[in-house]
Amino acid sequence: MKKSRLRFIAPIAVVTALVLAGCSTSNLGGTAEADPAAEAGPIKIGAVLDVTGVGASLGVPEQNTLNMLAKQLNDDGGIGGRDVELIIIDNQSTEDGAAKATSKLIESDQVDIIIGASRTGPSLAMRPIAEAAKIPMISVAANVAIVEGSEWVFKTAQNDVVVLERILDDAEAKGYTKLALVRDATGFGEGVADYITELGAERGITLVTTEAFEPSATDFTPQMTNVRGSDADAVIIWGINPSAGLAQKAYMQLAVNKPVYHSHGISNQAFFDAAGESANGVIAPMGRLLVADQLAADNTQRKVIEQFQADYNAAYGEQPSGFAGHAFDAWHIAVNAIDAAGTDADALRDELESAEWTGISGVFKMTAKNHSGLDASALILAEAEDGRWNLLKD
Amino acid sequence: MLTDFLQLTVAGLSQGSVYALLAVGLIAVYTVRHVINIAQGEFAMLAGLGSVWLTAAGMPLLLAILVAILSVTLVAIAMDRLIIARVKKLTPLISIILTLGVSTLLQAIMLLAWGPEAKGVPLFPGTNILIGGVSIRSQEFWMIGALVVVGGGIVLFYEKSRWGKALRACAEQPVAARIVGISPVAASVLAFAIAGFVGGVAGVVASPIYLSLWSGGVLLGLKGFVAAVLGGFVSFRAAIVGALLLGMIEAYVAGYVSSGLRDGAAFLILILVLVVRPQGLVLKPTAVRV
Repeated sequence: MKKSRLRFIAPIAVVTALVLAGCSTSNLGGTAEADPAAEAGPIKIGAVLDVTGVGASLGVPEQNTLNMLAKQLNDDGGIGGRDVELIIIDNQSTEDGAAKATSKLIESDQVDIIIGASRTGPSLAMRPIAEAAKIPMISVAANVAIVEGSEWVFKTAQNDVVVLERILDDAEAKGYTKLALVRDATGFGEGVADYITELGAERGITLVTTEAFEPSATDFTPQMTNVRGSDADAVIIWGINPSAGLAQKAYMQLAVNKPVYHSHGISNQAFFDAAGESANGVIAPMGRLLVADQLAADNTQRKVIEQFQADYNAAYGEQPSGFAGHAFDAWHIAVNAIDAAGTDADALRDELESAEWTGISGVFKMTAKNHSGLDASALILAEAEDGRWNLLKD
Repeated sequence: MLTDFLQLTVAGLSQGSVYALLAVGLIAVYTVRHVINIAQGEFAMLAGLGSVWLTAAGMPLLLAILVAILSVTLVAIAMDRLIIARVKKLTPLISIILTLGVSTLLQAIMLLAWGPEAKGVPLFPGTNILIGGVSIRSQEFWMIGALVVVGGGIVLFYEKSRWGKALRACAEQPVAARIVGISPVAASVLAFAIAGFVGGVAGVVASPIYLSLWSGGVLLGLKGFVAAVLGGFVSFRAAIVGALLLGMIEAYVAGYVSSGLRDGAAFLILILVLVVRPQGLVLKPTAVRV
């Protein structure tokens, strides 16, 4: 008996040890002083993206975009005659992977600027490393916490707060007073409930229930069952794909029968791939990329968006997503700043703080206080219908 | 209240059906070869992603699914013949290291072949129904039905057919089985074929609502492993009941406590069972282990 028990436990202990060994990773540690960048040789731009793991639907198009833009730039002669070397590291959608990649880019690759990460959690893990090493970093993720009070960190995705304002304005106009929230359990969904409570107070809207899901989740029955049983007038699902798309599917299949809003985290084809017909009727704030064909002819962003769509489609045979747009904007803001100020870190940072750029996700205007540069005007409201987005309100 | 409870139960039963099929595969291999197959979950993902690929290439859904399941069955047999059978002295420890290697290899192949994004097979035909406020998705019927047909079929096969009895003989008395002329090679191939087949079935029926992902097999395989442990790694029936219980407990924990604790529940059960009843749910503590 004793022996048989041991025989059973031993292999399990080994499996556990192996799995843990695979997960744990040693941090490189230490903050080697970045080499004072010589103003010669290639300019090094590092990127840390969620290419595999739960953020893959974000990281893959971002990686495509950066590769395409780096090639275009070098074909045109680089920046001031200097070639640009792009180094992309996959953080596997993990916080420790992002931190390790950032340390490597700074210490061994000695990059001049870092783009990334794709999601809030990994971006927050990168921030202190970039701040300590005094290397400019441009995140392509959403949560405003990434840049709040930062000195060296900027971001290009629209802030979660302005997205929520847009949703709550619409909810108020439609007379909804009670909302339910089903949110991503990681960094992207952090603080969303607090913002709704805070921003809702002035609009007479209260949050009646909050449910959370992991981005790797596949079954959403428990969350949707609880939402169905609540007295909410409308529901906000806050996540990225595929989980947000699967949540939407479960929402329809479980017949919750309340109007539903999503965040800008779903502005890609993966949403329709995961949700299918269940996506019809979803309202979400997002950048103008996915409704470019419906914009007014004189819209300032229209030209840059259409050029980007044509280039991306020619290179990869598919339409770019909103996330590709965030990477596009980060790249151009970085390259323009290097063009103007060179690769000296302090000069580059100061240049970024006055960056202005008419891009995919909006018209950016960075300041020393605002490292995100976008306001609510960067967002439109769109409604999903049969696999495409219809512009509701510009 | 009751509606919510029943709704969670439906979700738990359908998810549990997938765990049960994987547990059946794990036990089939363990009883014959004493191999704990870490790659069992990968069989499911391989079949799911393969079906997605084939349907995208224009193959009709039913044909694509059949081709994918049969291919995965062949992969499982190849795994046995090319890797497991080559090892002279197979201990459970070596088997875990070997199958962990196969699992990692299959993941890498899926990542390279089909990319890092999760994909789903199109929904199977059928309509969702709503009974007294409880919604049952058509795909959930397919998942539970797959367990009844495939899982039930394999239990019957083991208990009633000549080949099934031969497999059990190999498990209980390997030397005697060889003396009476049961080929250990054929038994091993059959066991792995069953593992590949049930893994493939689980993968394709779950894919339309739970999606397939190159890295998704590990967690799924571990849930099947927990169910197999509940069956003491010998009893199909106990493992199937255990898997359905596991699915329901997960759904209740996610619904009534916190969705973040969902996966934790499975592993808490694993620890409890190993400490309190390592022989599984049904065997008497005095029973002789095979």
